[in-house]
Amino acid sequence: MEPLERYLNNLSKLLPAAQRDDIIRELREDIQSELEDKREELGRALSEQEQTELLSRRGNPLKVAAAYRQDHRTLAFGRQWIGPVLFPFYIRVLTFNLSLTFFILAVIFAALYIGGQTVHLGDVFSNFLLQIFLQFTAVTVIFSLIERHLTKHPGHWTTQQVRALHLPRLEKNVREVSRFESISIIVASTVALIWMQAVWSHLFLIFGPAASFLRLAPIWHQIYWPMVAIILASILRATINLIYPNWIRFRAAARVLFDAAGLALVYVLISAQHYVVLAGEATAQASNKEHMLQVVNQWTYYALWAAAAVAVAQTVGSLIRFVRTIHGPSAAGI
Amino acid sequence: MTPSQDTSALFENLRLELRRGSLVLAVLACLRSEQYGYTLRKILADLGMEIEEGTLYPLLRRLETQGLLLSEWREADKRNKRFYKLSPLGAEVLEKLLAEWKALDSSLDQIVKG
Repeated sequence: MEPLERYLNNLSKLLPAAQRDDIIRELREDIQSELEDKREELGRALSEQEQTELLSRRGNPLKVAAAYRQDHRTLAFGRQWIGPVLFPFYIRVLTFNLSLTFFILAVIFAALYIGGQTVHLGDVFSNFLLQIFLQFTAVTVIFSLIERHLTKHPGHWTTQQVRALHLPRLEKNVREVSRFESISIIVASTVALIWMQAVWSHLFLIFGPAASFLRLAPIWHQIYWPMVAIILASILRATINLIYPNWIRFRAAARVLFDAAGLALVYVLISAQHYVVLAGEATAQASNKEHMLQVVNQWTYYALWAAAAVAVAQTVGSLIRFVRTIHGPSAAGI
Repeated sequence: MTPSQDTSALFENLRLELRRGSLVLAVLACLRSEQYGYTLRKILADLGMEIEEGTLYPLLRRLETQGLLLSEWREADKRNKRFYKLSPLGAEVLEKLLAEWKALDSSLDQIVKG
């Protein structure tokens, strides 16, 4: 019954929490009845391969779960861009990305204000609107491409599901990497890359009106490519786990590496102590800009120490999880 | 996408749309006698009304929420199964829907024959 349990386990993560147990109980009964019928028809027990084929015919778990949701919202401009299957994932990723961007912007504007820079409400508003537009466009384009792929190849994920079911036998209680987590990381990291590239060439996206006299310090140029490499590696890791969700140990090992690399970058940044500099033409100007520069650098320095604390905790946590995948009771996966 | 693929995709969409309304009627009619999901699906398939599990079970839940069906978990064949049957409200609605369907069928018949 292992393929059945794995199928239901995979599906249950996508179902509405309030009805999850009831739906799984009913589906389990339905599948068991079908397996019994097949057994009677063949006069023998079904092989794992046959069970897997029978389950794969039930379709993509994302679509099966979507049918149970009362929420059938979609995104449509003329034609449907994001259907009800992906819409809940889309909203969650968009909310996460926007919240993070708004937090960063709020910190920067607050630092500029405290540093003595005049911050106009119009500038704040237009900057936030621009971020909404950029994030909305990037996330929507990525999700609409996934939607298009799902519509064109409705069986594709089912095939992946079957392949996952074919993987070596797992111990009980081994968790799998949820598809939601993998998809979210792929989309959020891709948007982060696009956003980084946009900020790099258009500093007003992050500095607002202060972009006319502030520039990123050289340290950012030094760590740009390592940051891009870590993000690309995260996308690759999530893609692999999307195809092989039970590669728990692989995810744990990759997380240790990425968290350690992230920690090293934070260390390099803390050591630098200067994060923004005045633009060439602004250096000759009044001391209030120098004062503002000091405030922004100081705030960034403190924020980096906070980030370092979080990064250390995260790395230790990842390391513990990795050790558990080797020695723990649920040691399994690749 | 080739024109023939376009046509078949269009036909498939229209076919599904046409079936969607009929499925509710078929399920309600079948549940005049008590059934659990799997046997209901088999009965419908045997009568030429194939329905995927991914469509049937959410539909049963929706009809139950709307008060048209009643359900209970009970042991049968050494396993717990969820049995569904038409509620009094469901029976009343089914009669009205059947009358509507017959009227539609008769109208369509006349329209098609010209």
